[in-house]
Amino acid sequence: MEQMERRAFMKGAATGALAFAVGGVEVMLTPGAARAQGVPLRTLTAAQAATLDALGETLVPGARQAGISHFVDQQVSNPAEEALLEARILNVRPPYATFYRAALGAVDRASQALNNGRGFAQLSEAEQRSFVDSMRQNKVDGWQGPAGGFVYLLLRSDAVDVVYGTMEGYAALGIPYMPHIAPTQRW
Amino acid sequence: MATLDKVDAVIVGAGAAGAVFAAVLARAGKQVVLIEQGPDWQLSDLISSDIWARRLRGSGPPIRYEGRHPVGRTGDHGWGTGGAALHYSANFPRLLPADFNMKSAHGRGLDWPISYADVAPYYDRIAREIGISGDAKAEERWRPPGEPYPMPPLKTFRHGEVWVPGFRSVGITVAPGAVGVNSTEYKGRAACIHDGWCGAGCPTGALANPQATLLGEARAKGAQVRAMSYVTRVLTDAGGARVTGVEYYDADKQRQVQDAHVVVLAAFASQNPRLLFNSATDKHPNGLANASGLVGKYMMAHAGATVSAIFDEDLQNYLGSFGYQFVSYDLHPKTSRKAAFGSTFWNTGAAQKPTDARGIANVRPDLFGKELDEFLVGKARGLARITAICEELPSADNRIELSSEKDEFGFPLVRLIHSFQADAIGLFDAAIAEGVEIAKGAGAKEIWPGRAIGPQHLLGGTVMGKSANDSVVDSFGQTHELANLYVAGCGIFPTESSANPTFTLNALSLRGAEQLVANWSSIAI
Repeated sequence: MEQMERRAFMKGAATGALAFAVGGVEVMLTPGAARAQGVPLRTLTAAQAATLDALGETLVPGARQAGISHFVDQQVSNPAEEALLEARILNVRPPYATFYRAALGAVDRASQALNNGRGFAQLSEAEQRSFVDSMRQNKVDGWQGPAGGFVYLLLRSDAVDVVYGTMEGYAALGIPYMPHIAPTQRW
Repeated sequence: MATLDKVDAVIVGAGAAGAVFAAVLARAGKQVVLIEQGPDWQLSDLISSDIWARRLRGSGPPIRYEGRHPVGRTGDHGWGTGGAALHYSANFPRLLPADFNMKSAHGRGLDWPISYADVAPYYDRIAREIGISGDAKAEERWRPPGEPYPMPPLKTFRHGEVWVPGFRSVGITVAPGAVGVNSTEYKGRAACIHDGWCGAGCPTGALANPQATLLGEARAKGAQVRAMSYVTRVLTDAGGARVTGVEYYDADKQRQVQDAHVVVLAAFASQNPRLLFNSATDKHPNGLANASGLVGKYMMAHAGATVSAIFDEDLQNYLGSFGYQFVSYDLHPKTSRKAAFGSTFWNTGAAQKPTDARGIANVRPDLFGKELDEFLVGKARGLARITAICEELPSADNRIELSSEKDEFGFPLVRLIHSFQADAIGLFDAAIAEGVEIAKGAGAKEIWPGRAIGPQHLLGGTVMGKSANDSVVDSFGQTHELANLYVAGCGIFPTESSANPTFTLNALSLRGAEQLVANWSSIAI
């Protein structure tokens, strides 16, 4: 790791925020704040982000507002060895962007095939829930891509991370955070 | 490319095993260089967050995981100095005498070339060296007597205590678990404050991670760490009789050669075989130390069986350490189960956080949406779990081989092929059934047995034995074929028992490093 990169990386860790590019300048923001400020995506397309937002919200209510798309987009735009994604633990092969593109593409293709051309983000809440339940069990007809059950597991982990992995999330669960070294921006 | 000034010893990997070798060699006044492929983590880097903690976990050259039960990058993979021991549970069970002679006694598995009595003094010394909390007398119902642990057991909490009547109900005796966590201040390091962040790394020094213990000591005594440096080969002399150092690519991706009198491979069970294979020469066409053809063979994992349950009280399951509170070796005798051969080790009481692979949310992976919310908010405070670590017998079919894929420097990567055999699966099934009965006996309101057999830990691949005909290294980790090449870590275990491997790999590394120092003049010529 380059020394400059490492310093920037550790600065992010110390403040608890992630590095997002805003107007050509790197700023430290939580994913939720990056979403609220409309920070441009670096790797995912707008359509992929919309699918990811909808999937995240179906998996864990609150994931959209917590910035799941900006979280994943920022993470897959960094070198794999710096990633904070559960993908790292679940043996997804870098580059992680490849997996997310394949997974989101599989979801939308299957959704369109089964729902008269409507992508996952265009489905009703009930339809989204039904689709995810089938995906969880590898039972989506015509599915083409990474195993549906694994996509479910990984994206569910990302959604849990952004909603409940924060200091705010712990508070919502009534769990004392008790940090040794606190992530200062509730991350 | 530069050839760097020759040093006494180069150690590949700055995790637990490398740290022991480095400290012992540095104490003896040897000039030591540790080459570590990941970052050089400091205690101040260890932010209390499961998400940030993923920086500390397995990365680097990818491995192709294959077989019916792929092992994958489990929690015992590390990335950077400290290795997996930077963020581990610090469970420190030891092997028992019956683990060392399974082949002789039962005609199963492999024998170790040494006995429990050979290792026992090193268990006691490691306990003092790095600090272990436990109750030796309570353990001695299962093992030969030894020295007391230097600290009393850790404080226990309800999410562990609640299981004790359940174990008793099925006739299983438990005792406080030995852990590498300070129950009192020890050697200037703080006592644990029980807030369950060991898995994110402990910056207080209460957890016996290498930075706080032997790696720290080695550095203080002059050992040098070169981080973000990736070793590609061990180099040998023209005659192929001795190793001369290692080739690596530094943080700037520049090729370097570090000459050394002795090379110690401590790059984990998954990477040591890669280095031996990729170091092949005309004198060692199948890889270094591989006359037996056993490099990469006998890879082993533990079959982890977990039963989770909800109790009708707030168990404060976020308190404690990442390690266990209570353990039982009652089912260690190899023929304890009727349907399967091998040992089982029950334990309970690890603190739980909401996120991450072993977090509360993954106790019910079937739940999502508002049902997951309701579970996390409404029920999770009464959640607790027990885990059985089940032994897998060594099989040559479970192996690491070179892959057709190459790393960024053009050297082959590896495939890890692993499938549990019938005995491990039988032990797993028996443990799950037993765990449900334990939960019932404990008064659980809802019970969720883990259905998927979960590989835990990775061992083998460079197993020890008596000669180059049956093994890669001797009991000190010294390769049979190249006197100044050592392998350290749980890769040298010929059988795995049902115990977490860290205590034993520390003890074996201490024994091996002291043998190296004692025989330095004949080995490091």
